[in-house]
Amino acid sequence: MKKQAASVMGGVMLATAVLSACSSGSEGQAGAGGSSKPGEDTKPFALSIVANQVGEIPPKGNPLEQALAKYTNTTPEFQWIPASAYDDKVNVMMASGELPKLIKVNYVPTIINAMKSDQFWEIGPYLKDYKNLSAQPSSYFDNIKVEGKLYGIPIFRDIGRAVVHYRKDWFDAAGLKVPKSLDDWYNVLKAVAESDPDKNGKKDTYGFLLDKAYNQGTASTLTRLSVAQGGPNKWKVDDQGTFTPEFMTEEFFATMKLFKRLYDEKLINQDFSVVDAATNDKSYEAGRVALRISGGNAQSMQTNLVKVVPTAVVDAAPLEGPSGIRVPGESGNAGIWAIPKSSVKTEAEMKKVLSFLDKLLDKEMVYLINKGVEGKHYKVEGDFTIPLDKDADAKEVKPYRDTLIQRGEAYNMDKPMKETDLFLKNKKLVSGNEKYAVNNPALTLLSDTYTERGKELEQMITDAETKFIMGKIDEAGWKAEMDKWKKAGGDKLMQEYKEAYLKNKK
Amino acid sequence: MLQDKTIGNRLFDMFNYAVLLLMALLCVLPFVYVLAVSFASPAEVAKGGLILWPKEWSLASYRYIFSTDTLFRSLLVSIYITVVGTFINLLFTSLMAYPLAKPHLRGRQAILLAVLFTMLFGGGMIPTYFVVKALHLTNTLWSLMIPGAISAFNLIVLKNFFQQIPDGLEDSARIDGCNDVGVLFRIVLPLSLPAMATFGLFYAVGHWNQFFNAILYINDNTKWPIQVLLREIVILASSSIGDNSIDNTEIQPLTIRMAVIVFATVPILLVYPFLQKHFAKGVMLGSVKG
Repeated sequence: MKKQAASVMGGVMLATAVLSACSSGSEGQAGAGGSSKPGEDTKPFALSIVANQVGEIPPKGNPLEQALAKYTNTTPEFQWIPASAYDDKVNVMMASGELPKLIKVNYVPTIINAMKSDQFWEIGPYLKDYKNLSAQPSSYFDNIKVEGKLYGIPIFRDIGRAVVHYRKDWFDAAGLKVPKSLDDWYNVLKAVAESDPDKNGKKDTYGFLLDKAYNQGTASTLTRLSVAQGGPNKWKVDDQGTFTPEFMTEEFFATMKLFKRLYDEKLINQDFSVVDAATNDKSYEAGRVALRISGGNAQSMQTNLVKVVPTAVVDAAPLEGPSGIRVPGESGNAGIWAIPKSSVKTEAEMKKVLSFLDKLLDKEMVYLINKGVEGKHYKVEGDFTIPLDKDADAKEVKPYRDTLIQRGEAYNMDKPMKETDLFLKNKKLVSGNEKYAVNNPALTLLSDTYTERGKELEQMITDAETKFIMGKIDEAGWKAEMDKWKKAGGDKLMQEYKEAYLKNKK
Repeated sequence: MLQDKTIGNRLFDMFNYAVLLLMALLCVLPFVYVLAVSFASPAEVAKGGLILWPKEWSLASYRYIFSTDTLFRSLLVSIYITVVGTFINLLFTSLMAYPLAKPHLRGRQAILLAVLFTMLFGGGMIPTYFVVKALHLTNTLWSLMIPGAISAFNLIVLKNFFQQIPDGLEDSARIDGCNDVGVLFRIVLPLSLPAMATFGLFYAVGHWNQFFNAILYINDNTKWPIQVLLREIVILASSSIGDNSIDNTEIQPLTIRMAVIVFATVPILLVYPFLQKHFAKGVMLGSVKG
């Protein structure tokens, strides 16, 4: 009797679990099944879109989305995913086959593999049929190719973003000039650190600050400076296709030696190897630092700075070396719009998605995505547009501006937003940089060693650089670290890049 | 008593108090800092002068976070999954632990082994996702409450707790006409209040901190709990997404982030004092005598 009761209870428990699970109801997956029969072209095309969240999530059916739907004759169904878990969620979606018709992906090994195994449509051959898409500079597309094939449309981003932002008021008062050669850099940084430009009687100012990512990624300060001095962008390649990493070049080593000297003489922050970029930002905004090599806009630095130091004047200058402007070329995208084959089954449907993307670069859409709805977010005045509501812009327009494709003023926009001179100057510098961008020749080359152990290898060199700058290893020690890197897989990496490079070249 | 103490004893006491005070301060000060920053004016924080007490008080950050309904909505979602989820947890955990506490249950060892197995080996993210999807739980709040309804560890501890309740009590209840369900709900559970309060708190904190699963299983952003939002607001300031565009709006100031942290932490902190007395008893399950 007792036994039965106990087992019945177990059964009840299971049943309740199952029942309550079922009764919760299952709303259909948004748009995943989407219906679009060929021949019914006038009917709006149901387009499910997965994108990363930027700021607050705009409400469904907001004016901008309505205008977008009307112009492109689609019913876009956005699903926003927080950036902090984006790649995980996308992996789950890919594994479970729940992909939307259009998805934002990043150029990372898992996605590159998915592209190689044909999970996304190869759109290269179709591109020429779309007037706006085909009109974009090919370098943006080249930078996201996988083995020479194009699997998506890049979310355009400036290629040469590095500019110098500096405190013009300090520089003018001390008669300083924006540095060019490494010696200039040393002199300027020393002058700022020792001359008390903020006149508070304390030695609390710096020329510039480094954060713990000072040598990582495309925004690496070390790389940016070394490129300006004539060094390569991450990799150097010669006519035979031999690859040399940047840290084995002389320009890079010279820049590193400058950093070491700055560290030894306490001219840069001594805690640079552990400090967050956000912490340094605060020091910049508090008016304790003279300049930075930045990918942002000088105007935001100015705006934040005057709140604390009302007399501050920020200016922007190109990143110049002894032989003129040279900036590392970045990938030119903030992600890629890809069309999964599992949800977009036919070529006709794929073309519909592509034409949606193409329409985003039509004049009407360029204005909509960049500036929002006329009369609500901006108004036209002469040759300019005037922003009406910065708050609404940040909440309702920015998410689309940052995720959908647009090239700002660079394409199909004749009336730029009225902005401060400093903002426009910064912008002009960045777009001018495109001409001087030094490309990373290994950007789209595939290497198995990199996919498997790339992060580990990068970490080795990152650590060695930090040790060298902090004086924990000398030149011989640095050479030994480079040899260790070569043995740990660096040699193989260089060889694989060479093979991939020569294969692509043919 | 007092006169018994030698100087050495007193010095030792003073040293003890000093160390304990220091430890207490170390625990409390970060909270005070967060609270102070959330109430300070952004300009003061930007200047970097603020240490523990703002000179200029400002409610600007709270006004900002209350200006949208997203925060309230996600707070309600969090409260809902915490309350309902914890109820489900406690109900199912005790419903399963009670039969397992009875030595005469057939196959008890096998079931316990199966439970133990799940503690050591998990399916991983993607298989679990498939299970949730196959049960049609995706995009519902149930997906945050059902899959983890019974924690294997808590189940085993609770089973041991139930075993310590003397059989005589249950027998006399049966003589008075109670069936098994009656024994559980009228005798065993009331006697297990400290344990239930402890596990309730464990489960509740778990639900309150629900973050990753919510992103994985829920596509509809109106159903996101507060942690997802919180994380976004905190992370946003340090992300560089979208600096290619024409806007020059400010990044989220530190004060807003701190205000959101206060807003998301206070509710769960409020629950604790009410459970605290049970908590102290409940953690020392081993020492409970029948």
